[in-house]
Amino acid sequence: MLFQIAWRNIWRNASRSLVVISSIIIGIWAGIFILSFSWGLYKNNINESVYKQLSHIQIHHPNFGYEKDSKFTIPNSDTVLIHFQSDDRIASLSSRVIATGMITSPTTASGVTIYGIHPPSEIAQIGLNQTIIEGAYFESGKNNDILIGAKLAKKLKIKLKSKVVLTFTNVHAEIVSAAFRVGGIYRSKNISLDEVNVYVPQNHLRELLELKFSESNEIAILVKDETQLDSIKNDIETLVPNAKVEDWKELSPELGMIIESFNLYTYIISGLILLALTFGIINTMLMSVLERIRELGMLMAIGLNKRKIFIMIMLETIYLTVIGCPIGLFLGWLTVNVLGKTGINIAMFSEGLASYGFSSMIYPELDQEKYIIIVTMCLVTAILSAIYPAYKALQLNPSEAIRKI
Amino acid sequence: MAKTIIDAHNVSKTFNPKTVPVHAVQDVHLHIEEGEFIALVGPSGSGKSTLLNMMGGLDEPTSGTVFIDGIEITKLSENKLIDFRLHNIGFVFQSFNLIPVLTSKENIGFVLQLQHMPRKEREKRVLTLLKEVGLEDKTDSKPGELSGGQQQRVAVARALASKPKIILADEPTANLDSKSAANLLDIMAKLNKEEKITFLFSTHDQRVIKKARRVITLVDGKIDSDVEQVPT
Repeated sequence: MLFQIAWRNIWRNASRSLVVISSIIIGIWAGIFILSFSWGLYKNNINESVYKQLSHIQIHHPNFGYEKDSKFTIPNSDTVLIHFQSDDRIASLSSRVIATGMITSPTTASGVTIYGIHPPSEIAQIGLNQTIIEGAYFESGKNNDILIGAKLAKKLKIKLKSKVVLTFTNVHAEIVSAAFRVGGIYRSKNISLDEVNVYVPQNHLRELLELKFSESNEIAILVKDETQLDSIKNDIETLVPNAKVEDWKELSPELGMIIESFNLYTYIISGLILLALTFGIINTMLMSVLERIRELGMLMAIGLNKRKIFIMIMLETIYLTVIGCPIGLFLGWLTVNVLGKTGINIAMFSEGLASYGFSSMIYPELDQEKYIIIVTMCLVTAILSAIYPAYKALQLNPSEAIRKI
Repeated sequence: MAKTIIDAHNVSKTFNPKTVPVHAVQDVHLHIEEGEFIALVGPSGSGKSTLLNMMGGLDEPTSGTVFIDGIEITKLSENKLIDFRLHNIGFVFQSFNLIPVLTSKENIGFVLQLQHMPRKEREKRVLTLLKEVGLEDKTDSKPGELSGGQQQRVAVARALASKPKIILADEPTANLDSKSAANLLDIMAKLNKEEKITFLFSTHDQRVIKKARRVITLVDGKIDSDVEQVPT
């Protein structure tokens, strides 16, 4: 009977109940949308980093580290390459020879990281060919072809076909200089890297560094299924025991931090939305209790004990929440699914974002776990905010309540 | 000798004892036996409602004791008191008597349900009660769809539902036209006669007072007169 009375009570003032239900719906929807949008934004950033820059796994000599000294190589990297090329868990892999040095134009100079690459491999690996905005992607076939970023080109005041000189130390710590001709200018989504990364044919750089044919400084691997990342990593570690094998989270700790901080955002944003919801519910339920004082007094007089009165008021709030929650959840889920497919174009702001490595299409996305967190928090909030009005009803004295006009 | 239903000794009630004390009821002795039909009269502010509330355990006396059917209700805890009311006392108020979201049938059944009466028995009793108050055709009407007189009759039926020792009615006819008031009083008188239910009701209405067999007059919180009369 209490269930029935509570249910009918909420429809006595249908518009008021609908306002509460709507605020619950909007709260949940907004929570889901904001979180899925920001997760889409981060995911975009992560994908950009993984597929255009880092790859899932990188193998280096343990000492290669921060200084990027070319003498620390992975021995027999050619056999490693051949071994994993036939592994069907792997989408693509490429080896790189890396040197740090100086690029000099007729007017100025700048510090750079020089990547000796095998051009066809990097097409699949980081889609390097797609970033070319001027010239061509190693089409001349010449050894002295160099690919530089648009920002660096601007800084050095050079154009396509200009001549530049790269200066670096070889493995014997001797300074080497070589002339290159700009064959292509690229612009990636990460402008800050465009200023420091230059690409040259691998064999030529290897000769200049006086490395053996079998040696390289870095092997990058893209896997097909990210869930297999750890097992693949283990396989590599057994195959190349003296190397440092790192996945993208280790390579770029800030990406890992993004994921960590995102979890924190989940709670902060949901918390703020729920705080607003709390006051809405308390206000409405308190009003509904206070305007029924005489009725509650009568209920107590005829024998409804306080526990039952408390349950009745709580039930009213719970009903409102239970109606609002699934609708908000469904709308949120629908929004995430539709926009997750079509994407949201934020081209308006993308110039600024591009410098941080974001692209202009955002595909909202949310884990199941986050949906559960939002809904649970919403339910808990609703129940907690019902307690005060229900408690207020308990303090009524039946005879006083009846006397009140 | 008839059984004693209400036995009140030295009952007083003072509101705002610390600020501006209002002595609503002072030193009242009351003895009511089973089957009585009593009108409690007096001007506004004479303490009628307060006395009724104390007899029904809705208000706690500042001093004095109240026994209902031998149980000292002034000593019961709040929850026990609520339970005691549920089983022993029926209330009819001036207004706001019924649960607005329930139909007549459900309003009456609600009390029975609180007493855990099985469904079939409950339905039977509700119909009997509605018939007794002449509302068998209004079983599924909500209070909003009933006239004031009909609502009060449902309230009387609900007060009767739990087979209480006594029904306390606080100005039950105050908001009714004279025809509905007379009708309600007739029903109450009939129930009193046929089912031996004790009624104690406060009123201003001379026509209602005439129907009572005992009239207690309160003035300034004290019993001014307590007389038996032949109802007309």
